[in-house]
Amino acid sequence: MKITELLENGSFVVTGEVGPVKGAIPRDASFLPPCAKEAESLRGQVHAINVTDNQSAVMKLGSLAACVRLKELGHEPIYQITCRDRNRIALQSEILTAFSLGVDNMLLLTGDHTHLGDHKEAKPVFDLDSVQLCRIASELLQGKDMVGNDLAFKPEMCIGAVVNPNFQPLELQLMKMRKKIDAGAQFFQTQAVYDDRVIDDFVEAASKLGRPVQMGVVLLKSPQMGAYMNQNVSGITVPQSWIDEIGSVDKTDRKKKTAEMMGRFIRRHKSKFQGVHIMPLGWTDVVPMILEEAEVSVQQAAA
Amino acid sequence: MHATIQKPIEEIVGFLRPDEKVFVVGCNNCAWKCHSGGQEETEAMAERLSRRGANVVGYTVPGPQGMSLCKLDHTRKVLQEDYSEQVREADSFLVLGCGQGVHTVIDATDGGMVHPGCDTIFGGETVSESEINEYCSLCGECVIEFTGGLCPITLCAKNLLNGPCGGAENGKCEVDAERDCGWILIYERLKAMGRLDLMEPYQKPKNHARWSRPRSLKVSPHEATFCSQAGPITVSNQD
Repeated sequence: MKITELLENGSFVVTGEVGPVKGAIPRDASFLPPCAKEAESLRGQVHAINVTDNQSAVMKLGSLAACVRLKELGHEPIYQITCRDRNRIALQSEILTAFSLGVDNMLLLTGDHTHLGDHKEAKPVFDLDSVQLCRIASELLQGKDMVGNDLAFKPEMCIGAVVNPNFQPLELQLMKMRKKIDAGAQFFQTQAVYDDRVIDDFVEAASKLGRPVQMGVVLLKSPQMGAYMNQNVSGITVPQSWIDEIGSVDKTDRKKKTAEMMGRFIRRHKSKFQGVHIMPLGWTDVVPMILEEAEVSVQQAAA
Repeated sequence: MHATIQKPIEEIVGFLRPDEKVFVVGCNNCAWKCHSGGQEETEAMAERLSRRGANVVGYTVPGPQGMSLCKLDHTRKVLQEDYSEQVREADSFLVLGCGQGVHTVIDATDGGMVHPGCDTIFGGETVSESEINEYCSLCGECVIEFTGGLCPITLCAKNLLNGPCGGAENGKCEVDAERDCGWILIYERLKAMGRLDLMEPYQKPKNHARWSRPRSLKVSPHEATFCSQAGPITVSNQD
């Protein structure tokens, strides 16, 4: 199921996120890889689940393999594809492959630089940028590859993209968002936001662009994580008030506390967006509590 | 200019076989400016190698300051005429210059054995006597008309053509907190000039065939032909 169908119906679209393991999936079909275990907590809670693509440039199981496994288990995966590791031939081929293996949703990103990951001496590819990738994906959906050759059978998928409301100057990020829309992006997920003002400034401008946007939230698990993100995660700032609040309770109560904090935040802002994208960083079991706190329910959850 | 840095002396010594007779060649243009292979550094290299037991049969930096080693006819004349005896005696040539200079010495010595004494690191602008910065990646297809002259292929760590990724913070690149985000530099410059319109249009993917290596250029006073995997491209400098 393409999540754009839900967005077109006016559903408030809820998505989660899992990251593939560093390792292979055993051949034993009864074995659930960690991302599938995490996805179990999201069953019935979200419409679809993003599967990250070597996130933070750390080499892992391929996003597509994990997407296929999730699909087999009855989840609706959103296949994240970055420009970092593949040239234009590989990117186009991956999209065709993904559709052929049953994936309906793709999220197209630039990708974190290789320098941030665990293979710092790797050649960063970046043959295309995310705008060009959106355009080329659109062309594939229309039955042509990027150089104009006909495809024997065209994929039918929806195209998502990412925008960072925290970026300063915001106008520059919005320019890129407009380019992604012109290139065929059908929906957007934001990078993690924690700041009311950032959200309001972004929504005021982005709402005029006419594409559905899911607000992105990353679960804040501990004050240390907040400090770490501020230090090491590019483009995201966690306000001190959040760090103080999660630090105000004992470790044993942090899941409950973050559910309350994230839920409250989503509840406050949900009317400004067409959906929410929750990045639980492994704590998928907290997502039901967040959604309850946020007063968000999935009308038409994945099976 | 081609920026170069000297390789560690231990690495260079390791290139030389016992009793190998080596002749040291510097470059009086780029490597001179980088203090990696001018007159002073070339002399010093000969002395440093000798001190470590290497058999140095001679050294030279062809031409006056400002003369590049990669000017083949001149380098050939210097090596084959002015230093003919030492060059004949030498088993190999240690080149303190860029990779183009190393190849020039191969040509100038009719196929002599060479050792690189430097790492060639980038083509750059000599901002001052003590600073050389990279502003061009020699990609073969200039895109800087729409970026106010600032090259996104070079200044953006991800070579993005249609605007920044989401990773910059406080104007700095996600790769290095000391490094400016190239796209914010472009944006600020175009904004100051009232030309943000230049960056609005979609920029198509780069033609990497023009960046394929090796490339060559055939030149005459009024015409040049650029050869790459994109095919020969002939341009005129006349009306």
